[in-house]
Amino acid sequence: MTEKEIVAIINKVLCDEFELDLDKMKPEALIYEDLGLDSLDRVDMVIVLEGVFNFKIREEESIRKIRTLGEIHKFVISKITMILC
Amino acid sequence: MLKSILMNVTVFPMMMFEIFIGIFFSPMIFLVIKIITYWENDKIVRLMIWLYGRGWLIIVSPFVKFKREGFKRNPIKKPSIIVVNHLSFFDTYFMSLLPISNVVFTIRSWPFKMFWYKPFMQLAKYIDVEKIGWDKTFEYGKELLSKGSSLLFFPEGHRSRNGKLQRFHSGAFKLSVATGFEVVPLCIKGTDQLLPPGKLFLYPAKVYLKRLPSVSPNTFKGETAHIEMRKSIKEMMEKTFSK
Repeated sequence: MTEKEIVAIINKVLCDEFELDLDKMKPEALIYEDLGLDSLDRVDMVIVLEGVFNFKIREEESIRKIRTLGEIHKFVISKITMILC
Repeated sequence: MLKSILMNVTVFPMMMFEIFIGIFFSPMIFLVIKIITYWENDKIVRLMIWLYGRGWLIIVSPFVKFKREGFKRNPIKKPSIIVVNHLSFFDTYFMSLLPISNVVFTIRSWPFKMFWYKPFMQLAKYIDVEKIGWDKTFEYGKELLSKGSSLLFFPEGHRSRNGKLQRFHSGAFKLSVATGFEVVPLCIKGTDQLLPPGKLFLYPAKVYLKRLPSVSPNTFKGETAHIEMRKSIKEMMEKTFSK
């Protein structure tokens, strides 16, 4: 799976689960301010990503510091790369 | 147009009069209800707010036609989590069309800024989700449900600007899954005609409130149960609006 494909999957899954507009799924988009997610959605987002990519990330400290969609992309890509190595 | 002007010159002063009378007589009304019922204070204030809403319905009734559907066959007998779409500032007033008064509203911070309503909202234990956050909202919500109150959420969080359902937030559904209390979906139509978002001028309207069948959280399983529940209920509401 290429990085581009991973980004596309993340964007599609988040759009489906949280009824977001695909046009707004830009890397610089802020999770709360631009995408309109709340603290509960953040928890749900982790659960959804875990389900789609089959990994566990909920205990990781760095996931709590994420503020933009681009940071989610980078986090998931690095996690998948780490698992594959 | 003449009817609209007449509506505005009568409804707003009558509303102010009702607020004034309500505030003035509220201690006396509270005491009378307390002596008769021995209810807890917050439950009494919720009844008083519901009665105030009923009074407001009488004020607007020459200009607004109401229709309620689904409550006779399915009255809300047990504590439930009520979710309703949001079109107008007046949606909360129309919740007095509900057959029950013991309902705690879970809302954002701005309605608490109306100083003439704030003390009553606080005494009725309305929940300011924006101020206290979801953890405490769940804590209070569980406590209120276990004491027999219902909770009301606007899952969209904001009024719809185009009349269509917006994105639903998960809070109400997460609370339902966590506590086992059913969700009662309500669909409201026409309040955006009465007072369109961003306007201050009232228009005659037909308001329709429909109760959909209760949804049990037990139908949904797993970690994403509340997400599935949210999607399912939104779909039910969308189907109702498309009819």
